[in-house]
Amino acid sequence: MSAVAVERARTRGSAPATAWAFVKRHVLTVYSVLFFAYLLLPIAVVAVFSFNNPPGKFNFTWNKFTWDNWRYWNGVPGIESSIILSLEIALIASLIATALGTLIALALVRYGFRGRATTNILIFLPLSTPEIVLGASLLTLFLNATFITVQFGFWTILIAHIMFCISFAVVTVKARLVGFDRHLEEAAMDLGANEWTTFRKVTLPLIAPAILAALLLCFAISIDDFVVTYFNSGSRVTFPLYVWGSARNGAPPQVNVIGTAIFVIAVTAMLLNVVIQMRRERRGAA
Amino acid sequence: MTDQLTRRQLLERAAIGGAAITFPGILAACGGTGSKASGGTTSVEQKLAKTLNFSNWTLYMDVNKKTKHFPSLDAFQKKTGVHVNYMEDINDNASFFGKIQGPLSRGQSIHRDIVVLTDNDRYLGLMLRKGWAEKLDKSAIPNMKNLVDVQKHPNFDESRDYTLPWQSGMSGIAYNDTLTDPVLSADDLLENPKLKGKITVLNSMGDAMTIVMLANGDDPTNVTDKAWNAAFKRIQKAVDNKQIRQFTGNDYAPILARGDLMAAMSWSGDIAQLGNKHIHWNVPEAGGALWTDNMLIPKGGNVYTASVYMNYVYDPKVQGAMEAGDPKKNITGIYYIPPVKGAGEFAKRYDPSVANNPLIFPSAKTLSKVKIFDSKALNNQKYLEQWQNLISG
Amino acid sequence: MSLFHRHRGLTPYLLLAPGVLFLALFFVVPLGFLAYQSLQSGNFDIGYTFSWQWSNYWDALHNYRAQFIRSLEYAGIATLLALIISYPVAYWIAFRGGRWKNLLLLFIVAPFFVTYLIRTLAWETILSDNGFVVNTLQSLHVLGPSGRLLATSTAVVTGITYNFLPFMALPLYVSLEQIDGRMIEAAEDLYASKWHAFWRVTFPLSLPGVVAGTLLTFIPAAGDFINAQLLGSPDNHMIGNVIQSKFLELTDYPAAAAMSFILMAGILIAVFLYARVVGTEQLTGTAA
Repeated sequence: MSAVAVERARTRGSAPATAWAFVKRHVLTVYSVLFFAYLLLPIAVVAVFSFNNPPGKFNFTWNKFTWDNWRYWNGVPGIESSIILSLEIALIASLIATALGTLIALALVRYGFRGRATTNILIFLPLSTPEIVLGASLLTLFLNATFITVQFGFWTILIAHIMFCISFAVVTVKARLVGFDRHLEEAAMDLGANEWTTFRKVTLPLIAPAILAALLLCFAISIDDFVVTYFNSGSRVTFPLYVWGSARNGAPPQVNVIGTAIFVIAVTAMLLNVVIQMRRERRGAA
Repeated sequence: MTDQLTRRQLLERAAIGGAAITFPGILAACGGTGSKASGGTTSVEQKLAKTLNFSNWTLYMDVNKKTKHFPSLDAFQKKTGVHVNYMEDINDNASFFGKIQGPLSRGQSIHRDIVVLTDNDRYLGLMLRKGWAEKLDKSAIPNMKNLVDVQKHPNFDESRDYTLPWQSGMSGIAYNDTLTDPVLSADDLLENPKLKGKITVLNSMGDAMTIVMLANGDDPTNVTDKAWNAAFKRIQKAVDNKQIRQFTGNDYAPILARGDLMAAMSWSGDIAQLGNKHIHWNVPEAGGALWTDNMLIPKGGNVYTASVYMNYVYDPKVQGAMEAGDPKKNITGIYYIPPVKGAGEFAKRYDPSVANNPLIFPSAKTLSKVKIFDSKALNNQKYLEQWQNLISG
Repeated sequence: MSLFHRHRGLTPYLLLAPGVLFLALFFVVPLGFLAYQSLQSGNFDIGYTFSWQWSNYWDALHNYRAQFIRSLEYAGIATLLALIISYPVAYWIAFRGGRWKNLLLLFIVAPFFVTYLIRTLAWETILSDNGFVVNTLQSLHVLGPSGRLLATSTAVVTGITYNFLPFMALPLYVSLEQIDGRMIEAAEDLYASKWHAFWRVTFPLSLPGVVAGTLLTFIPAAGDFINAQLLGSPDNHMIGNVIQSKFLELTDYPAAAAMSFILMAGILIAVFLYARVVGTEQLTGTAA
């Protein structure tokens, strides 16, 4: 059962107590709103500057408003292919890393087996390795793999991203599995479901929020990664690589446009999802 | 785009019916010669390759903003039939070198015919000393005679056997006239208490030490321990008493533009591009630094084709066009200092404002005041460690 | 049939296999090479040779002790801040989010879509010396008249905190979300105050999330370099910066490798001590 907002019965307490309860209830909301304002403040700045017509090559000071950056969002060579590559990699890497991570998390939490401690350490190590040596060492691996000629580009970037995302997925899903109420699963099995069906119909839906959270986290990490990607990208350019590269001579405003656009598109997609769900519920209730 | 080229390139190679197309060969055809680097080229085969793989810094080529094409590269292809696979994947000497030293140290090719590295950082010299650069085919570069005199005999490549300049820039001091009186010397920058905590110094050893050594009256083109220590101490003092806010790469630009800095050690090209008339850049009174990004053929690259390309850009007409762009045709130029004699005349035809810009075509007087840092000092391990410890606390 | 299998044959190994094999090949092998490199001697010109050069470790610890400690310090403070800042929001989303939960989670990771460099640039604009924030703080006398926020240790720690918020918030949410609201209701029915119910029921149940979040924040933050580079002065630099410069500028690969292992060891020790305090079940999840 997921957390349900519970209304306290209003039978107890006088007016000040209910007033206090009101304040207490809304403090959390107000705080959260402030939190999101803080979190998204830079995005607001980025969005504003995406409409800027910069005075020179650098987009640091406001000059004048223009729609041009949005109209010619891919008007700078290399920017379009870089964001497409980043999105592709982020999507695939987060899916694979979350899948692999979930499996590992299940094994770690539910089973006692030899090598448990080692596996735990194995999961923590990538997190603690500085990116530069992580990227360089992986590069070395690829260079030494002389039995196949490694083509640096999409596949090497993908492998690198999956590698450092797995740990995040494992730890996130584990947070859900630890303290998971087994009785539901036991009940299902008592009612005749086998292990696989139980997993599919009971466990998986219950840990779905954790899997989604892991997916989001991995996606975010992947789309923002620079150092490890740089070493293993060959001549392919991802969006962060593009941004860092162009910053020397002034990152074009199109960079702001793309960042804002991704955010807007993702939010819109989520919103649509919610609206569709609401419609479905209304239809179901009708 | 890169992938389509790869397939086309493969088919062409198959048509030529040359090397066996093995599975690894297909895998390795990431847009390069795909071969293991041979040890030392003796005679150069004078045959043009189909593709030239050129790695450069971003925004360092003339570009048509509407079509996103590079006019000079298209013209090169028209003239010679060679397609330039242009990659803007260099954003920093250190990290690029960190990446390519892996394959190069194992004798593997990095699938590039030309890369561009800066001469006031250690990596250009390092490439030459490790033997990771191919000799230029000078017979294919008659236009080399157009190289400006000051670049003819640099101390890291005396006879220009391995490198040719791409573009140059200068390092000096910029200041914001709404916040401070003119800051025209390193003495002012480092020791004026009015500027405390409001200045930055470049994290590039070659740039910073050149400027401070010149301010001390020493010669940065021939660094002695004594000169080094004197300059180092001066900068150290400015760090300790919090005069220096940060050591920066070109990330001083936003801070300067926003007015959080009164003055900054900075590169000439950036300031012109800030578009802020209150920010002025000058070569420091005692002198500034000259840095040049150099073209270099890494081991395994196609020497003849690369040389032919270099010859092409050393044609003053071509260089002038690349430098100035063409505002009428929506082409942005490079806007750095070209190394080719006579480019200014041709640049005038396309964009007179570029030709008259003293930061792009500096006067002889200005050029006489900027110096190139001693390349031996750039690879002095002791100096390097000292410098890194200074900027990294 | 018990669902907690003490040693149920092949199943755990089958579950582990794909991920662990992947990591073994693409992480452990490179790590092995790194270890090999850390014991090499020589320099870039003459090449490096393996020579059991333990002095690389000793020198690193000796010369850069300050940066190691500073890194653990900054990472620790940032983690604590992230926990305090994120917990209420994770709670709010989990208990009050309703159908908007996923959207709110998306908002949390949204800053990552706008590459690190661009969002840091935006923060630099917001926290500019002459900007609204600094001026307000100065008029409130929180900052001195010539005080600034940028290029200070505050900026570095705040930068780290901000950039690692999702790593703390998401695991917290994951753990809070599964708490059955009826348990809290039951506690309140038994005359516990809201606060009491929180401390005695909710918080302990969310502990796995707290542990996960702190690990996912502290561990990578300790090795971070970019916040110190862009937002700090030389005396705020962390061990990540030193490793970066050893590797890139000084091409001293053995030193960089040795330092990385020292950092990893330091982090593992910190995690171990943390596990002692929190109780290993939360970390490794042995409880049924």
